[in-house]
Amino acid sequence: MIKLKNITKWVNNGNNRVFLLKDINLQFNEGEFISIMGPSGSGKSTLLNVIGMIDDADEGEYHFLDQAVHEMKEKQRALLYKQHIGFVFQAYHLIDELTVYENIETPLLYQNIKSSDRKAMVADMLDRFNIVGKKDLFPNQLSGGQQQLVGIARALIGAPTVILADEPTGNLNSKQGEEIMELFRELNEKDGVTIIQVTHSEKNAAYGNRIIHLLDGRVDHHAMEQYTKTV
Amino acid sequence: MLFNNLKIAWRTLVKNKFFSVLNILGLAIGMACFLLIALYVTDELSYDRFHKKADRIYRINSDILFGGNSMSLAVTSDMMGSTIKKDYPEVEEFTRVYNSNGSRLVKKGNDFLQELGVAYADSTFFDIFSYEPVAGDLHTALNEPNTVVISESAAMKYFSSLDVVGKNLETDDNNGTIYKVTAVIRDMPKRSHFRFDFIFSMDNLNYGFGDFLSHNFATFLLLKPGSSAASLEKKFPEYVNRYIFPMLQQTMQVKTIADLEKSGSKLEYSLMPLTDIHLHSARVAELGINSDIRYVYIFLAVAVFILLIACINFMNLSTARSANRAREVGIRKVLGTTYHTLIRQFLTESTLISFLSLLIAIVIAALVLPLFNDIAGKEISLANFFQPLFLVSMLALPFVIGLLAGTYPAFFLSSFKPITVLKGKLSGGAKKSNLRSTLVVLQFSMAIILIVGTIVVYRQLAYIQQKKLGFSKEQVMVINNTQVMGDGTRAFKNELLRLPGVKAVSSGGYLPVAGSSRNDNTFSKEAVMDMKNGFNMQVWGVDENYIPLLGMEIKQGRNFSKEFVSDSMAIIINETTADMLGYDDPVGKKIYKSQSNSQAEMLAYTIIGVVKNFHFESLKQKIGPLCMRLRNADWSIAVKMDATNVQNLVKQVEQKYAAHAAGFPFGYSFLDASFNNMYKAESKAGKLAFSFAVLAILIACLGLFGLAAYMAEQRNKEIGVRKVLGASVNQIMVLLSMDFLKLVAISACLAFPLSWIVMNKWLEDFAFRINIGWWVFLVAGLLAALIALVTVGFQALKAALNNPVKSIRTE
Repeated sequence: MIKLKNITKWVNNGNNRVFLLKDINLQFNEGEFISIMGPSGSGKSTLLNVIGMIDDADEGEYHFLDQAVHEMKEKQRALLYKQHIGFVFQAYHLIDELTVYENIETPLLYQNIKSSDRKAMVADMLDRFNIVGKKDLFPNQLSGGQQQLVGIARALIGAPTVILADEPTGNLNSKQGEEIMELFRELNEKDGVTIIQVTHSEKNAAYGNRIIHLLDGRVDHHAMEQYTKTV
Repeated sequence: MLFNNLKIAWRTLVKNKFFSVLNILGLAIGMACFLLIALYVTDELSYDRFHKKADRIYRINSDILFGGNSMSLAVTSDMMGSTIKKDYPEVEEFTRVYNSNGSRLVKKGNDFLQELGVAYADSTFFDIFSYEPVAGDLHTALNEPNTVVISESAAMKYFSSLDVVGKNLETDDNNGTIYKVTAVIRDMPKRSHFRFDFIFSMDNLNYGFGDFLSHNFATFLLLKPGSSAASLEKKFPEYVNRYIFPMLQQTMQVKTIADLEKSGSKLEYSLMPLTDIHLHSARVAELGINSDIRYVYIFLAVAVFILLIACINFMNLSTARSANRAREVGIRKVLGTTYHTLIRQFLTESTLISFLSLLIAIVIAALVLPLFNDIAGKEISLANFFQPLFLVSMLALPFVIGLLAGTYPAFFLSSFKPITVLKGKLSGGAKKSNLRSTLVVLQFSMAIILIVGTIVVYRQLAYIQQKKLGFSKEQVMVINNTQVMGDGTRAFKNELLRLPGVKAVSSGGYLPVAGSSRNDNTFSKEAVMDMKNGFNMQVWGVDENYIPLLGMEIKQGRNFSKEFVSDSMAIIINETTADMLGYDDPVGKKIYKSQSNSQAEMLAYTIIGVVKNFHFESLKQKIGPLCMRLRNADWSIAVKMDATNVQNLVKQVEQKYAAHAAGFPFGYSFLDASFNNMYKAESKAGKLAFSFAVLAILIACLGLFGLAAYMAEQRNKEIGVRKVLGASVNQIMVLLSMDFLKLVAISACLAFPLSWIVMNKWLEDFAFRINIGWWVFLVAGLLAALIALVTVGFQALKAALNNPVKSIRTE
């Protein structure tokens, strides 16, 4: 469902062109659970942002569900990702001024969904994650794990085909982290949601059924081979 | 330490250029306003204070209520000064000033020039008032008849020299009296409620002296040091009983002041300090055009308003940006700085900003001074900035403002707890703050009040322009100084009628605009004059062309006509008089007036017509009783024109004038222009309200702009998240603008009732006035909202277009 062909992105630093991504060729299928790994600055987040359509590549082709994203206008692209993509962030990025309920509801506001439908959908989601009792609390009244749970609930509310998670457990302790990863696995296996996560931790990466290694903006095939061997 | 504080303050300023510029610019504009208004107010308050004895000089005011007609006069009878000085020892000296017709023709070479600043005064004039002599002895200058004291500029105008004592001046009064110049004074200062260039000896005034009942002289008293004006005032009723009642008894058949008051009439004298006249006196027969203390108050209020708005900007921006300073505060506290030291540091910063603002404010004020003078009708010069007292207050201003605007932010910033701050967990500055919202509401309330004020003033002015006045003021030219032609006026009028473009010609001595002649007389409904029958009204001399020329309408009866010989005793009254008399059909009825030579015998006038009410005074006044008689009033002549080339017509009229009045100055005016002149103060007020509204909004917007920029910056992350969640640019803009629009809405709710009250108060001055419609508030509110929206919208758009990737990056 996602095809990346020669995706390249750079910044100009004086006379030097620094490549953030260089000739990325990847293909992800529906229902996959992908982990992207690599050292800091290797381009993991940039790649995720490009896939999430919130950042542009400078060169290359990007097809999402057989549609040429790289040829789309901003508006079409926004329409596409609103429907199909949910984001989960390392720092949760909940809106501090909104309650749990309102945070989860926000994406629906931008999809023009009727108020009564919204209520039902948010209620479902609260129920599913067992946070009905916390719906009127503000983010700063929650623990990190609970905040991330809300973050995931928010990502899922629009019933996306893909969830993009940027180090979803980076700010959590190991127990909370494990719970979140279990949740991802469940979503992937039971609901068939495609998940692409960026992670530093090999343990978390192992939840995925495929691991992509990046180094200096390129896909590091060597590391991937090494990894496969050790596994 | 101070140097260190200044250094840090300077670096902070330079580092945050955007906010510094907003802060300084806002404060500078506010201060410039304040400076200009301060100059205006000090100027207004300094009137007549240059007289060395100013604190002991009082003018006698007269308040007369008679026949339902009340009059507040700035003049008294010719006898009052001398009798009061004789009877009351606390009065050291008195002087009378007479300038009833205001202008004289003075001969230069072979020609007469019209002089407006002329008066007759007693010889004591220069003992009471302090003027600087250039030549001659002021103390004795007016002791003799046929003497005149002239100003420096008059001396230069007529003699091209200042050494003119002993020279002669010829005038047009009493068939060409020759006056000897006995002294020359420096021009009377501008800050004086009267200004004359020629002061003639009172002995030359052609007047029926010795009359206690006619009020025509401005009378000034000089009290002895230490005596009280209030206690002298208390003796005035006794004075009235002693001198005036014996006279009143003859004409009005009343015996005591009690009789007079029983009939609802009144005769009261009071004392007004010389220095109060300019701002507190708006009476009939003032010696010059006075100002109004209310405008001083309004100006002061506006100055404080605008300065407050500017201070609020400073507070808002400083506290909003507190998060940025929080880290610095935290580190300083950890390093051992005390709370007080920090406060001092922040106050140094705000004072520095105030100082920079003051410098810019002075430049702005100097640049707009000519414009301000034009609007405010002042002649304030740059030199006024450097009067010692003003200079000192001006230098104090930055400290006051620095404290006013800086104290709250200083305490706010200095009270951060270092632990919370250093953990990097402080975004408090960006969160909604009730105080900040209140301040923005305050700013916008003030701006909205000023907008409503501007709209109402302009609407009232437009109403005055369009109001049906009862006469037509368009295309009427008024030619002055036609009395010099003597019998030639008739021929002159006929010649005018033959000019192409002239439709009609009539006498124009009495015209329904300010500055034209007035003549108030006592009439009686019955042949016997008593308190019940007597009433006062205007008696205007007109000719038979007057009513049609001015487009007035005869409601009942007929106009004057040459065909009726009896019209010399005929009278046309206006509707007010008709209502007062109460006849069903007043035409044919008689009214009576006592003759000036014999008080007992009454003259009977027959009413031949009723003219529809027309406004003969400003629209501030109700239409009083008025009548017209067929009498010569040809000192001015009214010409109804039907000309496209007015300039050409004026030239032709001037030629005709010169033929009949060789050597005399040709003066003319247009009726509509004279009419507009009556509302100069109001149109001035309108222009000022407009300028201040614009400034208030400008400063408030500067603050809002900064605040919006900061809010957008602080909510960057939220905006990023929302965009990632699918919010469009429009949705983000609405989100950011709504917060501010809500504040504007609250401001409107506050400002509407307040401005309604204030503007109704202002309108009460006008007997004829507009209603403040609801739409005025709607327009003002929408305007404020629109301006706020544009200001905030720019920042909102910038924020909304930001790439979310940048704002949600975690590393």
